Amino acid sequence: MAAESTQRLRRTMHLAYLRLRDFRNYGRLDADFEPGFHLLLGDNAQGKTNILEAIYLIATLRSFRGVGGAPMIRHGQKGYFVGAKIVSQGEHEVKMYWSAQERSLSLDGRPVQKLTDYLGVLRTVVFCTEDLQLVKGPARARRRFMDLLLSQTHSTYLPLLQRYTQALRARNALLRQPIVDPVALEGFSRELVRAGDEIIRLRRELVPRFSPLAQEAHHRISAGAEALRLEYQPSVKSDFTTELAQSAARERSYRSTVIGPHRDDLQLLLADRAAAQFGSEGQKRTLAIALKMAQADYVTGIHSAPPVLLIDDIMGELDAKRRAGFLPLLERAHQARGQVFMTATEANWPEDLAQESLGWRVERGTLVKQAGSSG
Amino acid sequence: MPVIPQPVTHLVAALAKLPGIGPRSAERIALYLVQAESGSVRQLADTILDARDRVRLCEICGALTEQSPCAICSDARRDASLVCLVERPVDILSIEKSGTFHGKYHVLGGKISPLDGVEPEDLNIAGLERRLKQEPIKEVVIALGTDVEGDATGFYLAKRLARDGLKITRIAHGIPAGSGLEYADEVTLSRALEGRREMAP
Repeated sequence: MAAESTQRLRRTMHLAYLRLRDFRNYGRLDADFEPGFHLLLGDNAQGKTNILEAIYLIATLRSFRGVGGAPMIRHGQKGYFVGAKIVSQGEHEVKMYWSAQERSLSLDGRPVQKLTDYLGVLRTVVFCTEDLQLVKGPARARRRFMDLLLSQTHSTYLPLLQRYTQALRARNALLRQPIVDPVALEGFSRELVRAGDEIIRLRRELVPRFSPLAQEAHHRISAGAEALRLEYQPSVKSDFTTELAQSAARERSYRSTVIGPHRDDLQLLLADRAAAQFGSEGQKRTLAIALKMAQADYVTGIHSAPPVLLIDDIMGELDAKRRAGFLPLLERAHQARGQVFMTATEANWPEDLAQESLGWRVERGTLVKQAGSSG
Repeated sequence: MPVIPQPVTHLVAALAKLPGIGPRSAERIALYLVQAESGSVRQLADTILDARDRVRLCEICGALTEQSPCAICSDARRDASLVCLVERPVDILSIEKSGTFHGKYHVLGGKISPLDGVEPEDLNIAGLERRLKQEPIKEVVIALGTDVEGDATGFYLAKRLARDGLKITRIAHGIPAGSGLEYADEVTLSRALEGRREMAP
């Protein structure tokens, strides 16, 4: 009976096909993908990362390179098209088109009205060099990480965050006016606090649940070198309304809202010292990857299905020991019949994974299945 | 060398300014119009002008009407002690369709939205304050949207309109009729809990 229930709980999610038209350096791409481990091999600047970018775009409607729509359009073209089929509990077909004048997004042939109806159709976790910003970058990078974790696991988090952001922007616009109407300001303060309190609560609950996974991943990949601790640092210490009122003088001089979840941070401590300040480059890199591994574990745990892993050329950054710590994640994804896309150049491709993988060769905007790879 | 004649380009530009009409639709409509039978186009133009000439805002409540005061404001059977505050004239139609409100209306003409430069003084609040002095109004029902601006505007109005002998209420918001709690987000649920009501035994 136990076996039967595990069987029923085992869910999977994978990208079954990808269509690109005028996306980055792809004029036209039609590729079918099985579940499993896909290795995208090719020289630099051939378009390996662009495929990961397109998959991530389907999942989040954003580029992990942090750019808007225009740079993703193929040079000299008007707009790009990305289409996909995602197989999980059911099958979903996604089509998106983006140009300067026109953008559209449809799910199963119907235009998407609300973002919350769409997000979650495909879940991905990306590993890329930009991840280092999680450790080295400003608090904004870590807030965005918490937001990403919560919106991937909590269907109501995104509308809450949007509402908070709306209240914050309106409130800041009021504070910039020469004469601030106190009653109008109070109206927006109430909205800010209402949404903000929920955000703080959800972030506060997230960190102790996420920490053990991050510690475990970090332990695995750094071979237990230093103890990792994650600490949520809310900008609001105890009562948002009171502290907001107390900040009135500072608000007036900065002409913007100076306290609230938009000023939160997630402290990363290695052996009780701030990793950003005291860690070595290697330690920071290891920590960034550990956080992403933990994200994959966390999302898997909540949805009982591993997210699609997108791994952009990070094997080159890891020494043999750390690479060994990373492999169990891929191993687990493989066992759970998850899907992994990983880019590598000839020089640094992980031979240890080669037998189990489906090979693709990427060359000047084409993707060709390699002969001899097992399916 | 222009492929499309200039009058068509001008028409496309004018149509594209209309709400809900993008450049593509504007082009399609313009090309249709310039090829349509001239009588039917003239009739459309006349209908537009006629509607614009005959419809105006009610001087009392701000509703769309042919005659001012509007039919609702001049209806003696309506409860004059009850006024429902809405954002746009079209909101009156929605509430009227429900058939459950028998008071009068007041159209605010927007909501406080600092990001779009809309301040309290840009809204028709002074008109309502005048009505509070002149009419036997005992209750104002605030029926604005539940987005951030709608809620903040509601709060603002509750404070500004407060005076002796006047009850200010807000329409309930919360769980949509016929849906389960699991689909409601935190903000909606916390609203619904705030607005809870005692049940008759």
